[in-house]
Amino acid sequence: MLLQMEGITKRYGGLTANDSVNFSLREGEVHALVGENGAGKSTLMRMLYGEEQPTEGKIRILGEPRAFTAPSDAIKAGIGMVHQHFMLFPSFTVAENIVIGREPKSGGKFDRKAAAEHVRALSEKYGMPVDPSAKVADCPVGVQQRIEILKVLNQGAKLIILDEPTGALTPLEVDWLLRAIRRLAAQGISFILISHKLHEVLGTADRITVLRDGKVTGTVNAADTDAAELSRMMVGRELAPFERKAANAGEAVLAVDRVTVRGPKGGKPLLDNVSFTVRAGEIVGIAGVSGNGQSELLQAVSGLRAVDEGRVALAGADVTNKDAAQFRQAGLAHIPEDRYLWGAAKEESVADNGLMGHVGSLSRRGILRKTEIRDTVSQWVKSFNVKTASLDTKAKHLSGGNMQKLIVAREMAHGTPFVIAAEPTRGVDIGAMETIHDALLKRREERGAILLVSSELTEILKLSDRILVLYEGKIAGELSAEEATEEKISMLMAGGGRD
Amino acid sequence: MAAINRIGWNKYAQALGMPFMAIALGLFVGAIAIWTVGGSVIDTYAEMWKGAFGSFYFTTTTLTRATPIILAALGVSLAFRAGFFNLGAEGQMILGALAAALAAIYVPGNGLIKILAAAIAGMLAGGLWSLLAGWLDTRFKLNLLITTLLLNYIAMYAAGYMVAFPLKEKGGTGGAQTEMLDSAAWLPKLFAGMTLHAGFLVAVFAALLLAWFLAYTAKGYEIRMLGSNPLFAAFGGVKRGPLMLTSMMISGALAGLAGTFEVLGTQYRYIDNMITSPGYAWSAIMATLLAGSNPIGSALAAILLAALQTGAMGVERNTEVPLEISSVIQSSLILFVSARVTFSFLKRRKARGADGNAA
Repeated sequence: MLLQMEGITKRYGGLTANDSVNFSLREGEVHALVGENGAGKSTLMRMLYGEEQPTEGKIRILGEPRAFTAPSDAIKAGIGMVHQHFMLFPSFTVAENIVIGREPKSGGKFDRKAAAEHVRALSEKYGMPVDPSAKVADCPVGVQQRIEILKVLNQGAKLIILDEPTGALTPLEVDWLLRAIRRLAAQGISFILISHKLHEVLGTADRITVLRDGKVTGTVNAADTDAAELSRMMVGRELAPFERKAANAGEAVLAVDRVTVRGPKGGKPLLDNVSFTVRAGEIVGIAGVSGNGQSELLQAVSGLRAVDEGRVALAGADVTNKDAAQFRQAGLAHIPEDRYLWGAAKEESVADNGLMGHVGSLSRRGILRKTEIRDTVSQWVKSFNVKTASLDTKAKHLSGGNMQKLIVAREMAHGTPFVIAAEPTRGVDIGAMETIHDALLKRREERGAILLVSSELTEILKLSDRILVLYEGKIAGELSAEEATEEKISMLMAGGGRD
Repeated sequence: MAAINRIGWNKYAQALGMPFMAIALGLFVGAIAIWTVGGSVIDTYAEMWKGAFGSFYFTTTTLTRATPIILAALGVSLAFRAGFFNLGAEGQMILGALAAALAAIYVPGNGLIKILAAAIAGMLAGGLWSLLAGWLDTRFKLNLLITTLLLNYIAMYAAGYMVAFPLKEKGGTGGAQTEMLDSAAWLPKLFAGMTLHAGFLVAVFAALLLAWFLAYTAKGYEIRMLGSNPLFAAFGGVKRGPLMLTSMMISGALAGLAGTFEVLGTQYRYIDNMITSPGYAWSAIMATLLAGSNPIGSALAAILLAALQTGAMGVERNTEVPLEISSVIQSSLILFVSARVTFSFLKRRKARGADGNAA
């Protein structure tokens, strides 16, 4: 046994984050760790990586008890971690990022050539192609992840912890990564895979351990289980079967007419003559490999970016090139694509984050109505089951999934005719996903018009009445819910025509 | 809701404790400085304490000195909270002081009218000077840090020229200064025989008002969000342009008021260098940094810095240790304040486990 974690308990004051957790890993094994937000997965991994020390329990590597007081101890013991948010230097080359801390030197100076050569050999050995001289900033996300993995392999890692590795990847990149994990495992590298996505876990892992409320609810062989069983173990209850009534779409609420957003000088337009409508009572899904104009489209229909040509109308009002305040006035609620970039102020309290966009209704003559604000926000916290210590907790202390629930609650509370839901469930657990999907479908029943943008095809397929595929800034095709399949969408996403 | 209840009072205590630790370390470095120049550390700090708070007279003198620092610090805090680095407090104070002196001299009427006219003129002058920098940012995208800093020099030399030539006191033998105000326009003293004037009460009131404004009003909320994450504010429909101009205007007006009270309450005329040589504006910026732009904290930090300065004067009167030692202590304070940022970053890394930051 490569790794044994025995009876691991971690307490923070009154809270038990991990309660007598047992976890083991064989050489060359892929062992997935799943569980809802706050179930204790990260805490457990932080203890393994030396960022935290267990209150009780033992960690054994190859049978030897080990205590890691810092990540450097863990790295020395052959443990590597690839974080959800990459820790790379974007303005340096791939080779420089990989050899960091172990730079080849000649005559006391950093030897760039040797570094590039070393990285080339490394990438061949593990079958992870990268261009050593490319700048990291110019690499797609999937390649950046390869760089992270090569970096920890270069540090001599035999055990790699992957924290939500597929969160930011395109379907093709996900596919590639999961196969690479299997290949590396065959070469003797062991993996701990933290994930929310059960179908990925089922297809990749040997064993799966489920955590709930800090306790292990079970460790199962991937071959002997299915998604339904895993969800039950994670959530502790049956998930309601999903039903979507047929659409009964009414008049157009959002009308985008021949919108063009020019790119940098000489480059292709970011949005090229895009026209579509979203009608009352329907969900329109936008699929596409990220970077094909989704962000620009979202910003153009929410007042965060000016368009160069075309018109945008919202609930009958022309809002072309108006600002976000005017879009909101006309009837927009917006669950933003990047929750920390647009959707929250991390240094401010939960209450203040909840208030954004609601100042008008929760103040009187310019004075905030504190009691009503607190009542309203705590109502959302309750109905969306946001885990927070209090309303005064800073937003940065909430986990990503809980922050997302707060943002969804805040935006749905506007009750506007039009809702943008961009990556509404990115990084949230199954229970929260159910809540968020229910909220979107409920709004659809209430004759709301919803524009859904998601990199999760399953989400697009599950919720959308119509699906538009963006490719290089153009709408490459439209599919109805009935005719849409994952294959058809993937084809359009890759630039293939409908026929 | 059941989970993660571990953010207790000690977090707040830590936030308050930080400035005190910066002060303690500053005093420690000061002690080394005193020791190297051959003074007695204990005697020197004792004299410093006496010079700052040793008697009612010295205490009120400290508060007098703190008054313009508090007001300017409040202005700086407001701009910082909105995310705008207004380093122009000095120029705004200077123009405020000059405008106030002129208004108090030339506006006809009784004392109260003169005082009100001076306050309005002073706030307008400081506010408009600050607004100019804000406008240059919104209109031409000129970096606020640079414009506010450079506008200081324009204000300083323009005001210096004005009182050296066209507005110089008629027949006066003194230096570059305006004539003296009619004594009716002097701010009343709070205690007979002491220097402390009514401006201090206004400053305290302004601190409370600003704290209330930021926490309890819609505009205050928008300003805080704009400073915390401008994209989040834009997303939520907060308009950056008007809000920036307003906060820069108010920020400058507070600095202008600080200059006004120096004229009406202490000097009774505008004298060249009356704002620059005591370093009021830079003390104000330092107080703001020390307190993390919290209005009440900035006011307290302003009093502390004023105490360091009046204390240093006591040291100079009664010991052989030179006045510059106080500058050493102040400078090391700045150092430790900037160290605080790094320290809290390290703490945050350690505290990550306690953040409930699950995958």
